[in-house]
Amino acid sequence: MAARLSSNPSKRSSITAGLLSLILPGLGQIYARQRYRGVIVLFGAFLAVLIAFWYGVPAWYAAPAVLWLWNVWDAVGAARGKLRSAFLPLLALLVMGYGIGWQVTGIDFSALIRNLDRATSIVIPMFHPDFFSGVETTNSAWAPVEVPCGPNPPEAVNTVNGIHVAISPNCGKLNQELTVQASGLWPDTPTNIQWATPIGDILPLGKGFITDLYVTTDAQGNLDTTIHIPPSALSAAPDPTLPLEHRIYLVQSRPRPGFQLSENGGYVVQGIIQTIFLALISTTFGALGAIPISFLAARNLMGGHPLTLSIYVIVRTLLNILRSIEPLIIAIIFVVIVGLGPFAGAIAITLHTIAALGKLYSEVIEGIDPGPLEAIRAVGGNWIQMVRYAVIPQIVPPFASFTLFRWDINVRTSTIIGFVGGGGIGFYLYQWIIKGDFEAVSSSFIAIAVIVVTLDFVSARVRARLV
Amino acid sequence: MLQIEHLTKVYPNGTVALKDVTFTVQDGEFLVIIGLSGSGKSTLLRCINRLIEPTEGRVLWDGANITRASPAELRQLRRHVGMVFQQFNVVKRSSVMTNVLSGRLGYVNSFSSVLGLWSKSDRERALKALERVGIADKADNRADALSGGQQQRVGIARTLMQEPKLILADEPVASLDPVLSHSILRYLEQLNKEGITVLCSLHFLDLVHRYATRVIALKEGVKVFEGLPKEIDRAKFKEIYGEEAQEVRATTVEEG
Amino acid sequence: MDARRFNLRRWFVTGFLLLLVAAAYGIGYRETEINPVKLITSLGKSQAILNDLLHPDLFTHQTHDTTLDIVFPVPCGSAQPTQLPDNQAHIFANVACANPGDTVSVSGTGMQPDTDVKIQWLLPNGNALFSKLARTDAHGNFTAQVQVRPINTTTGGIPSHLQALTAVPFGGLLPSQALKDVINNIIVTVFIALLATTAGTIIAAPISFLAARNIMGHSRLGTSIYVIVRSILNITRSYDSLVLATVFALWVGFGAFAGVLALTVITMASLGKLFSEAVESIDPGPLEAVSATGARPIQVVVFSVVPQIIPDFISYIIYHWDINVRISTILGFVGGGGIGFYLSQRINVLEYQKAGTAIWAIVLVVWAMDFFSAEVRKRYT
Repeated sequence: MAARLSSNPSKRSSITAGLLSLILPGLGQIYARQRYRGVIVLFGAFLAVLIAFWYGVPAWYAAPAVLWLWNVWDAVGAARGKLRSAFLPLLALLVMGYGIGWQVTGIDFSALIRNLDRATSIVIPMFHPDFFSGVETTNSAWAPVEVPCGPNPPEAVNTVNGIHVAISPNCGKLNQELTVQASGLWPDTPTNIQWATPIGDILPLGKGFITDLYVTTDAQGNLDTTIHIPPSALSAAPDPTLPLEHRIYLVQSRPRPGFQLSENGGYVVQGIIQTIFLALISTTFGALGAIPISFLAARNLMGGHPLTLSIYVIVRTLLNILRSIEPLIIAIIFVVIVGLGPFAGAIAITLHTIAALGKLYSEVIEGIDPGPLEAIRAVGGNWIQMVRYAVIPQIVPPFASFTLFRWDINVRTSTIIGFVGGGGIGFYLYQWIIKGDFEAVSSSFIAIAVIVVTLDFVSARVRARLV
Repeated sequence: MLQIEHLTKVYPNGTVALKDVTFTVQDGEFLVIIGLSGSGKSTLLRCINRLIEPTEGRVLWDGANITRASPAELRQLRRHVGMVFQQFNVVKRSSVMTNVLSGRLGYVNSFSSVLGLWSKSDRERALKALERVGIADKADNRADALSGGQQQRVGIARTLMQEPKLILADEPVASLDPVLSHSILRYLEQLNKEGITVLCSLHFLDLVHRYATRVIALKEGVKVFEGLPKEIDRAKFKEIYGEEAQEVRATTVEEG
Repeated sequence: MDARRFNLRRWFVTGFLLLLVAAAYGIGYRETEINPVKLITSLGKSQAILNDLLHPDLFTHQTHDTTLDIVFPVPCGSAQPTQLPDNQAHIFANVACANPGDTVSVSGTGMQPDTDVKIQWLLPNGNALFSKLARTDAHGNFTAQVQVRPINTTTGGIPSHLQALTAVPFGGLLPSQALKDVINNIIVTVFIALLATTAGTIIAAPISFLAARNIMGHSRLGTSIYVIVRSILNITRSYDSLVLATVFALWVGFGAFAGVLALTVITMASLGKLFSEAVESIDPGPLEAVSATGARPIQVVVFSVVPQIIPDFISYIIYHWDINVRISTILGFVGGGGIGFYLSQRINVLEYQKAGTAIWAIVLVVWAMDFFSAEVRKRYT
């Protein structure tokens, strides 16, 4: 009986099949014993109608309509023992999928061109990474001025480092013109003249008191110019009528051969170091956490008893849930709980690592060859000896290899966990991108590339040795 | 007529694979090339259709200079030169039919062949070629479902699609069981009797005696013998293969 | 003797390495600012958040809203108080009027039993000022103490009102606004992954041939193209998609398009490398055989290379599709569109139940996509 059926599977009414499929897509195929095909058609039609309904654009109903019509034709074919080509409905679904995708993701290639100036303002500074800065020697001197004038203003002359500076008059009110004369400076060198208030605020003396004022010294190193007392000189004073000593600074600087780490360069180094250690700590703790959990998630160890089996199911489910949540999502929650900083990032990456490695480890344990275990038992070894000589040799190399693989991934994740406040280079990088400081962005990009490529290379070499 | 003149091949790493090899192949010959592994047999065959570019010397075929041919001319020439390989070189994940049809590529335009559109006559020709080698029933199978002997037959069927005037066979039976060797070589022998010139490199001397009309021996890239199979006596054998060598027969099966 | 010296050296090296490892973890511990104490002290906070996350905001009830209202002049005499209404349900205060700072006892009768009551002041300017929550007893009565504040005072002859609001759920469950937002965003997320995987594949396929040693050969031109393409792929691959998404968001503006662009670039680099390795591992024999028939280069590629690489390509595309679905869930953190933006917003405003809805949606979709791709992989590779 069964043999006759299987040799002639198409003994089904094609009209019934067609009608069934007209009512519910896939039903006719299932009736014609094309169960898998039927389920796929049903699922596809369901999804297509759902998406078309959700977006409510009438045109998108064309795709499920095509699928529906084709499905009737296909069901009739299936009943007659013929498989129809699914090209047309697949094409319709693809057109609908990509069409809606295009719409909802707001694809707008003109924005790439329209905002080309933004791109250039991003790309051009990228060629000047802010990592090193030049080293300078400076030469400076100052003289006091009293503002406003008191009964006995002090002499407005001073000699520092062999530089003699004289101001006249020796006191004044806001916006008043002063003459600055100096000698003993470096000859033919631009000299920045600045105003320092009694509390140490430095005010520029150039145009509009916003830009720096530069005056170049003559061949003898002398300087003679006039300045105005900045209108904001007294804005921080507790009592503007009280005469206080302000200072006029003359600063010259000369580049010296050599480089030093710039300020942002220092942050890059600090961030990269934090990133590497973030990856190290979370990979280590993640692996340590994953080992015991992986035993609980191994079916061959836990499948024996209903209690252990239920532990297995619970652990597996938790691992799967945790694994589908990106570390960044875990990190934003832990930033709320433990505060900004690498600790939140370390917790997030560790948790994700436990979930990811726990699953991989448990699959290794499930795949161990029982032969060696038998062999050790056969020579009279006890349980500990069996674990030591038959289990560990089988699981250590794949464990190590998976851990190194995770380390590679964690290094990459550590570079961005700072985007949500989780520490590492990402913390600085995100702020530089938002601020538009693309010279600093560039140096962090270079640092990330160097570190990631190097660590990838190292771990590939170590892995090649292990396997 | 195929003329090989002063052919020399030096690989970029300095290995001299062929040194000043000269010989002529008359139309209709079954010429066998013998020699140890690494003596330059494969290089010689591949220099003829320029899968390997010779360093010096030239190859003339019916007066046309293959070594000087432009890419387009070379493709024209290659169409008529079939090649059979030791490792069969069939595309394992493609069907037998597609593998055989690929022998026709030099005759059809790029566009339709890339789209997989083949004329009816080409399909019929492919089926006929498969019938000739006795595996027409396997046309729709994937090539990796076939045994080694069957894969080599696919290779020969692919060659037949080219309507070749010359077949280059590089150790066509070295990867096969001795018993299968004869069945493959018999196909080549039959094609040879139909007028196709065959250049074949072989390992086993008994096969050489059985199939060759003429023999060339290479030793470290130099031609050390040219003549009839029966002229290879014990002394010649030692000269070609070295003092240590012992003659091994490919098969003890007696054929009539 | 010899063995002894050897052992000493080994001990020395081992000790040194151990010291190095200890130092690395010591620095790591400090650098990552590990603080187990904080983890314990913040246990209460995390419990509250976890509780919210586990109770996602999925459905709302339709409600039947009622408002009971009396005029309540502050200070006394500034306006006429309400006469008690005739209908059954009403609220009343123990005094008809009060001065700022006084505490007034408010009661209500004839209301829905066992229901939350929101007591609020309707200020003269029309704004509502929340006072406190109460709950009616089994008979529909409540009493609560509310304080009169200075801003309740009558302004321009308009007195404050005292109101009691109830919202009684009825009928079936409706999807909440959060659920609708999450579904919209999660669809966008899946489409970001789909478009990026598709575009990345289309670009990576031809590029991978340029990054395959066996195709590019050993000529000087071939080698230099190979080295350049490989280096570009390797460097691009070292960046996380999020970094690029941030840059693209600045370029084309915040939104899913920036995410698609970033993910496309990373997919291209990653698949380009995987594809090129697949191309490098092909058997060169068939290439030779097809070339020997006099085929043109394009025919050689189509007939001998493509059939060999298709299965590897498909399995790599599926592998990357899984990765892209995960990444697209977080692209929104940096303005790349999708569910990530919604999620980070909810967390920033401490709406953890809505965040929980988003996280559960992510888990579901990632699971479903994993399942789907595992099925496809089983059948087509």
